[in-house]
Amino acid sequence: MLQMPSRSATGQNRAAGGATVSIRNLCKRYNNFEAVVPTSVEIDSGDFFAIIGPSGSGKSTLLGMIAGYIDPTEGQIVVDGRDIVPEPIYRRNIGMVFQNYALFPHLSVAQNVAYPLKIRGVVKDEIARRVRESLAMVRLEAFASRKPSELSGGQQQRIALARASIYHPSILLMDEPLGALDKNLRDEMQEEIKRFQQELGATVIYVTHDQQEAAFLADRIAIMRDGAMTQIGSPRALYEQPNSRFVAEFLGEASIFPVKSASGKQAGQPCRIVLEDGTQAIIRTDEDAGPGRFACIRPERVTVGPKARDLDNSYAGTVRESLYTPGSIRYRIELNGTGSTLKVRVLPQGNTEVFETGSAVDIGWSADDMTILRE
Amino acid sequence: MNVSEKKLWAAWSRFLTGMVGAILIGFLVPILVVVAVSFQSKSYLSFPPTDFSLRWYQQFIGNDDYRSAILNSMMIGAMAAALATVAGISTALAVVRAGVPGSTIVSALSVAPAILPQIVLAIGLFPISVWLGLQGTLWAVILAHAVIGLPFPFITVCGALASYSNRIEIASMTLGANSFQTFRLITLPMIRPAVIAGFIFAFAASLDELVLALFLSSPSTRTLPLLLWEQLNFQVTPEIAAAASVILAATSLLILAATLLPRLGKDN
Repeated sequence: MLQMPSRSATGQNRAAGGATVSIRNLCKRYNNFEAVVPTSVEIDSGDFFAIIGPSGSGKSTLLGMIAGYIDPTEGQIVVDGRDIVPEPIYRRNIGMVFQNYALFPHLSVAQNVAYPLKIRGVVKDEIARRVRESLAMVRLEAFASRKPSELSGGQQQRIALARASIYHPSILLMDEPLGALDKNLRDEMQEEIKRFQQELGATVIYVTHDQQEAAFLADRIAIMRDGAMTQIGSPRALYEQPNSRFVAEFLGEASIFPVKSASGKQAGQPCRIVLEDGTQAIIRTDEDAGPGRFACIRPERVTVGPKARDLDNSYAGTVRESLYTPGSIRYRIELNGTGSTLKVRVLPQGNTEVFETGSAVDIGWSADDMTILRE
Repeated sequence: MNVSEKKLWAAWSRFLTGMVGAILIGFLVPILVVVAVSFQSKSYLSFPPTDFSLRWYQQFIGNDDYRSAILNSMMIGAMAAALATVAGISTALAVVRAGVPGSTIVSALSVAPAILPQIVLAIGLFPISVWLGLQGTLWAVILAHAVIGLPFPFITVCGALASYSNRIEIASMTLGANSFQTFRLITLPMIRPAVIAGFIFAFAASLDELVLALFLSSPSTRTLPLLLWEQLNFQVTPEIAAAASVILAATSLLILAATLLPRLGKDN
């Protein structure tokens, strides 16, 4: 059996925190198509790093290169100071969880979880002990002798999680692990994955197209588009300071308007802009707010009702759509005389007034709440 | 669908049922005749049989020519099927999993021996076997039968591999298993029913193959079908019918095994 002498491949000791992952100019070209453009990113030890993006944006290709089943065209993947690109997939000691679980159908649950230890030549008694521990960690001890096909989707994914972590890999990759589950189960599994990662201490790289899932789980998120990471940051930074229209629209809801002109631009100072629809607004931002840029306002930053009159930007509006959903009230409000509508979300308090469709309302926001975006 | 269309369909389905029935009868009657003829005491092939006797079976069992021919056939069949199975699994892996360049051509070539006329293969293999110095040895027939057996394991294993995602194998490798371990512990158990079925079909194909054996064997490597053929040319006795019935029984058992064994494997 081939084994790396330099690595503790048997995973006797729990990984002391996860590995640091440094991706350097990693790219993948197929003929003339660039699936991943040269990309560099540093991921800290124990980080939960999510990669989100629409399908075909290159996120799964990136994950495949880290796992080792896709060969990069160029670049390095440096794990704890060592480039793993030349290493074959089976020597990388990376755990991976797949969307469709990829459990071995001919083996029992316990045999599936024991597999990586068996491959590493761990003695029988220790395998049995660690399989018990591992199944206890995902609370499926009772299912040890079942076949994977006898388990529900959520249970199967927990087995896959146990199998991918029983050898204490310092990196855990997950490729849309909750993609095949229904909504309620997804929420439950998110909690489970978060708890699991905290116990394991591994560095997690998590691919999903679900922005809420990424925001819930991740310390940092990278947004991919056309094979490139367009922005990397904490969920809060990405939501509150998106650097492009694409990011603002991909992560959460936003009302976005093209800017026609700006005047009095000075870093940190309020400046006046005019939107394409003629609306004037005061903003405070370091970004250049000229033509070709976009002004963006998040739905929950908009104030509706008499209080709006006191804000930097205040307008008369008409409610075009009013929707009460559990936990929030959603509106589409037209700015009178412009034809432009804004998405608005209000968190109702005990005395919050709900405006019906057609009502005339005051609407406004402060200069700090409007951001300027590139395309 | 209106009434006249319905009537048309009903007539068509009656016609098809009749056709299938006729084909089955045409196929089964000669088999029954051979079996019936073998259980009688007259020294020529007479039908319908007038008495019951195991005389020709006794003679068949006591005949050293038949004994050595059966041994040859078994040995050749087992070796040829083993070779065909190993080659079939490797080719199927290359075509379905590795997606080698020209995999369509490789597939076509692997299936070709089942479709091309065996006489062509035989004429081509003869000079090669002479050139390699294999002519007249068991190996000449074994290799030729491995070629005609190849399509069976190739087709069954291709089907098995296509029925599940290669994610399973990728998962095994991320968990630390190299290609060989992954094949032994994951791929092979998952395709086992197809491998068993392919092996049995290849074995059966070798067991009743005549044309290649005719070209490539010598008196000492004579196979059972070849001996039957020689006997038919020499003198027709019910002993041949007895031998044919034994081959028939053996082949039927193999086909039964090929259908049942993979199913048993799946349940366990």
